Amino acid sequence: MKKITIDPITRLEGHGKIEIFLNDAGEVENTYFQIPELRGFEKFAEGRLAEDMPQITQRICGVCPEAHHMAAAKCLDDVFHVDPPSAAKKLRELFYSSFYVTDHTTHFYILAGPDFVMGPEAPVAERNILGVIAKVGLELGGAVIKTRMQNHRIIQMLGGRAIHPVFGLPGGVSKGLNEDERKEVEQIAKESVEFAKLSLKVFDDIVLKNKEYLDMVLSDAYTHHTYYMGLVDEKNRVNFYDGKVRVVDPNGKEFVKYSPKEYLDNVAEHVEPWTYVKIPYLKKVGWKGFVDGKDSGVFRSTPLSRLNAADGMATPLAQAEYERFYSTLGGKPVHQTLATHWARLVELLYAAERLLELSKDPEITSPNIRTIPTAKPDEGVGIVEAPRGTLTHHYITDENGIIKKANLIVATVNNVAAISMSVKKAAQSLIKPGKKITEGLLNRIEMAWRPYDPCFGCATHTLPGQAPMEVVIYNSHGEIVERLHH
Amino acid sequence: MDEKTKTLILGMGNPLLCDDGVGLRVVAKLKDRIEKPEVTIMETGIAGLALLDLLVGYDRAIVIDAIQTVGGKAGHIYRLDTQAFDAARHTVSPHDIDFTTALEFGKKLGLSLPQQIVIFAIEASDVRTFKEECTPEVQKAIPTCVEMVLLELKKG
Repeated sequence: MKKITIDPITRLEGHGKIEIFLNDAGEVENTYFQIPELRGFEKFAEGRLAEDMPQITQRICGVCPEAHHMAAAKCLDDVFHVDPPSAAKKLRELFYSSFYVTDHTTHFYILAGPDFVMGPEAPVAERNILGVIAKVGLELGGAVIKTRMQNHRIIQMLGGRAIHPVFGLPGGVSKGLNEDERKEVEQIAKESVEFAKLSLKVFDDIVLKNKEYLDMVLSDAYTHHTYYMGLVDEKNRVNFYDGKVRVVDPNGKEFVKYSPKEYLDNVAEHVEPWTYVKIPYLKKVGWKGFVDGKDSGVFRSTPLSRLNAADGMATPLAQAEYERFYSTLGGKPVHQTLATHWARLVELLYAAERLLELSKDPEITSPNIRTIPTAKPDEGVGIVEAPRGTLTHHYITDENGIIKKANLIVATVNNVAAISMSVKKAAQSLIKPGKKITEGLLNRIEMAWRPYDPCFGCATHTLPGQAPMEVVIYNSHGEIVERLHH
Repeated sequence: MDEKTKTLILGMGNPLLCDDGVGLRVVAKLKDRIEKPEVTIMETGIAGLALLDLLVGYDRAIVIDAIQTVGGKAGHIYRLDTQAFDAARHTVSPHDIDFTTALEFGKKLGLSLPQQIVIFAIEASDVRTFKEECTPEVQKAIPTCVEMVLLELKKG
């Protein structure tokens, strides 16, 4: 078998790349999943006012600015040693729940929907939202748009302006809700709950009742036994906004539960020659390579992980769905990567229910939304669950609140090891010597990474053309035998 | 299209990532040059499906953004119209849908989207480094792009 060395110069700029290397026999030998790295953040942050970080960091990502905004705000609470008033925390969580409704909705219908509704073998031209609505109906498409628009309205309401809102401050938030606004939020939340229930039904009808898809979800090709990470509240229930980071082992047993300040004791970074991105792993387990199992420090941080790492959901309908999820899939933890799409919908329901709950909380219209910091700033860590995984912000400042050092672990980076493994396993089971490499086959390989919904940093480019991901297959002589990019 | 045509000039990009923000810089300069009630000038850093929300209600849209093409020369400016998109339409994105599909989706749902969309795309050199300025070649393209947009606006 030929040894293949990846020349670092082949690292591709601008979009994600999956490189699959075949051995002499035509079987998959190695797979590399690369995401482009954004460079120079530490240097860029140095010298800036820490209080600007919620505005600055939300511009890192064009898809989940609210996640960075929230992690930054929490980090500032820690840096300035200030505890926001109860109403402020509830407002932050309300804002964040609304954001989750929009984000999870978009990604289920745009990302997962096409694979399952149209089927993985469907022609590329049909495997998109247009194909989905052609099959499930325009009404559902309209509901997707409506749910998103309504929840964006809530975000605007609290953020004060549509684009790059100002909301999170050290010690609280900049704007609250009056009674009229609260009523509007409550109404939107009710409709969002109905929409989430409908989405779960769609998944049920189209995926779970379809034996072929269910087999695919349960297949070994898309299964990995890893550690799972997610933020939980004091009762070990999923919480996107606050709590402690809980990690369970591949058998579902709690391995560690740490508070934000302890993240460096728990997560270390491994360097690989073929990517600039440093790969996080559990420090106390150690890096053993891109392998499954209890002895490997590889962990996953996704909607599926969050459900696995928790003992339940904090709202009733979502809790019922959580139970149904596990009883259908054979108990906790669930290791099947494709089940992440279902987990995302359970979270969608929780986010909508939580939004409704908070909109009816008597404190939600309170004017007491900020505690002014008085202590000297120095260092802080803020962690939230971004839709794509655990997001960590860490700032060190001088006594005037100027950033000396800033470190971020963004959601997708947590999953780089797991994504590489998922793609490799799927590729190995699907690419066989003598078997023709079809577009449908490559799509099934892509289905291995789509559940992770990887974020490549800000991508606002609208121009027609490439999805920023390329799959390249090399034979044992290093020659390209197949290339796919949408 | 006439004087009453409601036009949106939309600058897209990330102001923190070097050349990625060039669209925003072009639009910032346009704000000083245009004063017509039927023309709205906007900047955004959002992506994908969310763009539909911004485009609703306009008859025409002129979008300015950064682009990276294989073998492209930094600072080159391309003008793309709806015919160019129809020919180049692609499908599932790993993360969100592409512009053309988003537009078609919106139209199918009866959203009131612009009948005419023109994109001015400036070839970027670096969109991966955290920096608030553009690279020199891209910086040089900004005034030219401003004039191109103003000419486009006159076409009506």
